[in-house]
Amino acid sequence: MKKNVSQRGPYILLIAPSFLFLFALTFYPLYFAVKNSFYYWNLATSPKPVSFIGLDNYINVFKFTPFLASLRNTLILAFVGVAIELFFGFLIAMALASQLKYLTYVRALLIMPVTIAPIVVGFMFRYLYWDKVGFIPWLADVFNIPEPDEGFLGSKITALGAVLLPDIWQWTPFFAIVLYASIIAVSRDLIDAAKVDGAGQIRLIWSVILPTIRPILFVIVLLQFMRLFNSFDIVYILTDGGPGDSTRTLSYGLFREGLRNFNIGVASAYTVVMVIIISLLVFIYFKLFNKRAAL
Amino acid sequence: MKLFSVGRKYIAISTSIVLASSGVLLVGASTSNAAADCGPNRELNFVSVGDPFEYALKEVLPQFTAETGIKVKLTGLDNQTLQTRLAAAFVTGKSDLDVVTVDNIWIGQYYDNKWILSLNDMIKKDPTVNIKDFIPQVLYSISEWRGQLVGLPIAPYAQGVMYRDDIYKKFNLKPAKTWNQYLKNAKAVNGKTFKGKKIYGNVIVGKQPVPIVHMYTGLQAGQGSRWFKSFPEAPWDFTPNMASKENIRAAKIYKALYDVSPKESITYDWFGAGMRFADGDIAQMYWWTPYFYLVNAKGYMSGKPSPVVGKFKITPMPQEPGKGVHVSTGGWQVSIPSTADCPELSWKLVNWIASAKTQKAMGLVSKYGAQFSDFGRTSLYSDPELLKLYPYLPAQLKMMKSGDGKVSRPGMPLYPALEGIYGLQLNKILTGAPIKSTLQDTNALFTNILNGNLYLPYKGVSYDDTFANTQKLIDSLD
Repeated sequence: MKKNVSQRGPYILLIAPSFLFLFALTFYPLYFAVKNSFYYWNLATSPKPVSFIGLDNYINVFKFTPFLASLRNTLILAFVGVAIELFFGFLIAMALASQLKYLTYVRALLIMPVTIAPIVVGFMFRYLYWDKVGFIPWLADVFNIPEPDEGFLGSKITALGAVLLPDIWQWTPFFAIVLYASIIAVSRDLIDAAKVDGAGQIRLIWSVILPTIRPILFVIVLLQFMRLFNSFDIVYILTDGGPGDSTRTLSYGLFREGLRNFNIGVASAYTVVMVIIISLLVFIYFKLFNKRAAL
Repeated sequence: MKLFSVGRKYIAISTSIVLASSGVLLVGASTSNAAADCGPNRELNFVSVGDPFEYALKEVLPQFTAETGIKVKLTGLDNQTLQTRLAAAFVTGKSDLDVVTVDNIWIGQYYDNKWILSLNDMIKKDPTVNIKDFIPQVLYSISEWRGQLVGLPIAPYAQGVMYRDDIYKKFNLKPAKTWNQYLKNAKAVNGKTFKGKKIYGNVIVGKQPVPIVHMYTGLQAGQGSRWFKSFPEAPWDFTPNMASKENIRAAKIYKALYDVSPKESITYDWFGAGMRFADGDIAQMYWWTPYFYLVNAKGYMSGKPSPVVGKFKITPMPQEPGKGVHVSTGGWQVSIPSTADCPELSWKLVNWIASAKTQKAMGLVSKYGAQFSDFGRTSLYSDPELLKLYPYLPAQLKMMKSGDGKVSRPGMPLYPALEGIYGLQLNKILTGAPIKSTLQDTNALFTNILNGNLYLPYKGVSYDDTFANTQKLIDSLD
């Protein structure tokens, strides 16, 4: 039966404050960024927008900043980070689902890294990477992994990987916990039927478990990709985008333009470009995977 | 079946809740229109950078309250956070700050945007200032902009060389007067063993974007290189000069100094490099003058003596023959925000902090050992009590008097943006990027930024910002 206005009214009233709040927090900043991206506005020289300059700020995003290097680093962090965290998270989830003895205690500890603020994780790893005396250089020495003379954070070859490691440490458990919850929700009947049909462990995972948890995988990969795409805290604490531009990410570049150089016009254009890129990537992701992941 | 029965009472309650919450938000966001209390109960809100001087200042600040009855709330922030906090407060016009410390590289931005006050009139009216006691090169480098003194120095920094006298004696080296000699000294000892320890010839600051620029520009200025075609002399022409032969030579020397430094110094910031020298395996380094006392301690404000206490000497920065003497000078001053509610009270604090009496008291603070010798006043450099604690003061005075902060790091309004790019490019050179093309790219990036921010060509009003004009200003304020 179609609800009339008087029946829908209370629902609208109840959600109105939340909706207005969300609108204010999401759409207004985007509108602000789009609008000011067409104006010359640098707080270093003027408290207000000065003049309309068309697409100049968008051109300056590429001319003022190492945008392409930042994009490259960001995409590497996002794709490689998600792949590694998903792989190891899935392995841990499968191990937990096998209900091996004592692993239930591990489950409780898994949540701990996720509860730590990224900036604290950054500081922690800064000391772990401390040249010659940190835990990580010691561990590298134990496994005969050569440490660059500049240190893991000082070498342009290892710095990006060194920045990714804390993120893997912190967020792999998140994958593990979410995937564990979805794996144990897979119907026992399905698994038993597959075993009766002669399915081995690999076939079981590939043909039964993965297809069943695909909707969860779809969401969690998307969320983590977007989070990694916006990486800032760890980069800021560990390397400040260096050495050179080898760990500079888009978010770090945006931070520098907006909060260090005070160039609101260029920072706004930078924001819009980032929104376009991430929207494009999410669109492609949905196109490729969404219909097959429908609940 | 109706799931939800709507009554007028319910609609009224819901609407009231929404309106009430909006009202609370509006009231919370509104600003008070009450007149500022500039009386004896006023507490001054003072935000400072957390540099070493802040520790000494914290110890002496209660004396200001004892003398004047005015309370002071001091907040210390790191350099970058302070800049963001101040800019945000000033841009919104809702600053609650009464006194702030301002880096010399921010004064163009802050004064041209009318974020801080000129102190010319206050200085002229107040006979206790004794403006002529300030080292004029310090006032020129860090406090003067467009003929206005926009602050009084609380902690000026020059640059000088610290070298291990014991290592120099072992390897028959003499303090360098030129950069070639400085590099030669570093190469002569690099990799050698001294008292069972492997020695590095030098240590640099390599971290980008900001710290590396602070160290590099000391060398750049010494080579006679300038950032722009014409600045600070009028007419201003901000055509970048980063790929000049002087700067290319400076970059080659800096890269060569990195080659004789610990490789991890590419990640060292201000303190990281200083503490590496304090570890005892570095033969020499040039750096800001506060490190003359900081390296005596193991760790920041730890009070524990480092291995280099009594083993190093200080000498002026090397210079390139025929290029004049240009020592990088920077540091901090205390200024009054234009939004300060009670500028007269703020001035009381500013003048008190910059006074010879307070600066001396800061120099005598010994909570973590002798920890402050960044004096801007000439008289303090011959004070017997201070000379006992800081015997290098006469050498430091010479460094201050050779100061030319406007050449080494020009405090024009876009300096922070240019510095961010410059540091990135310099760091790239340390990672192996070709020097000439990287500096040419720097020029191109600078041109883009200056063009995009309407500084090329410069259409604003130029000011002939020379040392001679600053001396005239000082005379007029006396």
